Amino acid sequence: MTMSTIRLKVNGKPQSVSADPATPLLWLLRDHLGLTGTKFGCGIAQCGACTVHLNGQAVRSCQVQAADANGASVTTIEGLSAKGDHVLQKLWAEMNVPQCGYCQAGMLMAAADLLKKTPKPSNADIDEAMTNICRCGTYPRIRAAIRRASGQAA
Amino acid sequence: MTAVLDRRRFLVSTAIVGGGLALGIGSDADAAPVTPWAADGAAGNEFSPWIEIAPDDVVTIRTGMPEIGNGAMTQIAMNVAEELNCDWKKVRVVTASIQRNHVLENVYGIGFQPFFGGHGTGQPRLAHTMQLGASARERLKAAAAARWQVAAGDVEAKDSLLTHAATKRSLRYGEVAAEAAKVKLAVEPKPKPKSEWRLLGKASPSKLSIPDIASGKAVYGIDVQLPGMVYAALMQAPVHGGRLKSHKPEAVLTMPGVRAVVVVDPAKTKGSPVTQKSTFGFADSLAQSAVAVIADHYWQARTALEALPVEWDAGLGGQWADADSIYAGAAAMLGKDGGRTLKKLGDGAAAATTGKRVVEARYGTPYCDNAVMEPLNATAMVTADGAEIWCPTQDVQQAYWVAIDETGLPPEKVKLHATLVGGGFGRRTQADDVRMAVAVARQFPGKPVKTIWTREETFRQGRYRTPIVAQMKAVLDDTTGLPQAVTGGCAYVGTREIFQMPLGFTDQPYFNTGVIPNVMLTGAKLPVHIMNGAWRAPCYNSHAFNVETFIDECAVAAGIDPLDYRLKLLANWDKSWSDALRVAAEKSGWGKPLPKGEGRGIAISCWPLANNHNFGTVIATAVRVAVDAEGTIKVKQIDVAFDCGSVANPDAVRAQIEGATVYGMNAVLNEELTVKDGAVVEGNFDEYPMIRMADTPPVHVHFDALSGHDRMQIIGEAPVGPIQPAIGNAVFAATGKRLRQMPFRKQKLV
Repeated sequence: MTMSTIRLKVNGKPQSVSADPATPLLWLLRDHLGLTGTKFGCGIAQCGACTVHLNGQAVRSCQVQAADANGASVTTIEGLSAKGDHVLQKLWAEMNVPQCGYCQAGMLMAAADLLKKTPKPSNADIDEAMTNICRCGTYPRIRAAIRRASGQAA
Repeated sequence: MTAVLDRRRFLVSTAIVGGGLALGIGSDADAAPVTPWAADGAAGNEFSPWIEIAPDDVVTIRTGMPEIGNGAMTQIAMNVAEELNCDWKKVRVVTASIQRNHVLENVYGIGFQPFFGGHGTGQPRLAHTMQLGASARERLKAAAAARWQVAAGDVEAKDSLLTHAATKRSLRYGEVAAEAAKVKLAVEPKPKPKSEWRLLGKASPSKLSIPDIASGKAVYGIDVQLPGMVYAALMQAPVHGGRLKSHKPEAVLTMPGVRAVVVVDPAKTKGSPVTQKSTFGFADSLAQSAVAVIADHYWQARTALEALPVEWDAGLGGQWADADSIYAGAAAMLGKDGGRTLKKLGDGAAAATTGKRVVEARYGTPYCDNAVMEPLNATAMVTADGAEIWCPTQDVQQAYWVAIDETGLPPEKVKLHATLVGGGFGRRTQADDVRMAVAVARQFPGKPVKTIWTREETFRQGRYRTPIVAQMKAVLDDTTGLPQAVTGGCAYVGTREIFQMPLGFTDQPYFNTGVIPNVMLTGAKLPVHIMNGAWRAPCYNSHAFNVETFIDECAVAAGIDPLDYRLKLLANWDKSWSDALRVAAEKSGWGKPLPKGEGRGIAISCWPLANNHNFGTVIATAVRVAVDAEGTIKVKQIDVAFDCGSVANPDAVRAQIEGATVYGMNAVLNEELTVKDGAVVEGNFDEYPMIRMADTPPVHVHFDALSGHDRMQIIGEAPVGPIQPAIGNAVFAATGKRLRQMPFRKQKLV
């Protein structure tokens, strides 16, 4: 294990990090860059709490090695919107979606990716795209908020 | 100590905000990576240690509890705002300093479990917090009246504005807060009657924590960042109660970033220097034999821990080959002499019964983990003369005294910051996680050490759902079909007696009203090394399944519709029970025809205690399931009706019922930990499946059965119960197969 310099753009800002190239992007963001909005949940791509956008695609950042993020552009929950006012973020508050909230950054990043690709997702689309785990059981509200964000009835 | 640094950081951040107010938990994006923390003492304009109003009108309310996701802290703010008549947008609520609480002789210790994340509407806390608001409002009015030289009675307080109508003058709350804080009222105002409430029971504000959660700014325990912080990866004896036999630190000490390898020896807990005042005692938070690697970054610590050669002595627990042998051991104790009598009514077991129809069956619930989404963690810095801890805990008082006990430091030398909590469900009540982090940090003094459990460690070092094996027998009256007698009992698996409770079992009205004239229920226990603990609605979550499946079987044997059967059994009990059953059933379409392979089921229970009139939260849950040709169960519709008396925040109640219902649905369908040679096998979500969006039907919550009784009972536990048997009962209706053992995914339906 030797250290290498990883250069990447995070939330539009160029960053240079010295880290073991096998370090997961998740920990690069959290421990090296102090961006703790992206959460550690399982480390094996099951729960999706660590979801970020990598070059515009929703990915589970616990499965992306730092070396593979070199040169990439990453958006985290902190960069989803300038003032926390993405339509989903606003509805999350208005519709009282989160309970403990720990999984919700990953949920929001997955939902934002879905809406970008499928502006009016069907319930089946939502089932397919939203595979993250929420232990508090907020799934019905997440679905309702995505439907409303896309101008559809629940 | 970095406490000094933290204080400076705090001062800097509050200076930026500009009001001299204690912002509490929250991150300062530009100042990362240091987490700002509220000062422990007064920051100005305090009306009492509970409430402060800043010059910019921001009201900060301090309460003993942390926020675990149920909105209890927001509820406290709502209680205050009801009387304070302030602008809701100006309200903040923070967890009070437990150290300050100690110094100020339990000033935050109001009501039941005052440092536990719940009971936001429990008496006397509701009364206390409403009084706080009323008192602050009158003091603001008095301060404005003094400035204007008018009578306080002529000043109106509304939306954070004080006005004197006759002279058309007005002042913001913040403008007179400093003077108001010094006002002493001759007579404390009386809070207004329930009939005049404008917020409670009417408004449904979202949780105050949400904007920070949705923008990634919220600080959970795992997110704490401090100057000079290092990270620890932890491994405890895989067989609970086992001991570290040997390890080779030299194998990993040269790996990148590694600072130290430390051993946690349970014998080295120092013990509290004064009489401890923890909420739950220390029996479930004793230090475990463990090894930890400390490194500059978490990934380095974890990588090195995985490379560390370690040998464990399993101890006595290693004798249990698997979970089935444990459950068989418990089942063997059923009905044996020595079992405690939990309930006896009428002639009990000696009852002379005449009925020809007999129902007898055995039920079982397994080990389950709370599976909190935020893996267990805590950050601690210990020096020779002090300790500071940052942790996500469900009970701040418990965490505080566990830290004192582990370090042996006097309480006034220990500071503890409660962060936002990424899920609790009981797992974060005992503070064993806090103790382990403190035990690690003690050995790396002078530096903040953040100990993070892997998901695997979190699963395998749980304080699990108490497994319960139950066997019950009913003799049914030939005419009515109702039981003449119910006999049987249960066996609890585990070491901890406080998690061997008959809630949801012997307190069920069926066994108390005399409708079943003869009842004899016993309880036995099988001590096993695997640690059981508080798993959402402890023991009730199993008993509700066992009892309500059994009652369903009685209904089927009697040839009576399961809804009607329950209504007959509950005819002489509180009307709200029958109302809840009827509402849930009606909304589910009870009795209407269904396609082949589908069925409906219903169940009812009440937390925390069912056999007191107008007490607890009654929940009736009706479900519709479809079972396909492969035997896969799909839950298609859920209808819940309830009575918790009255509600303070209708949407918060709805959210808790939705979530707790999904929690119970996951348990009955999916959850089980297994055991091999004394150690828990499952380590992650690939082995411990969880329901996801695609598996979750709409959860319809109906308020029609709400009685309007004055109590506002806790809501987060009760719904976990009836959803489990309701699904099983629906599967029976759909297939004719009775499922008596969880999880259903492991049962054969075809």
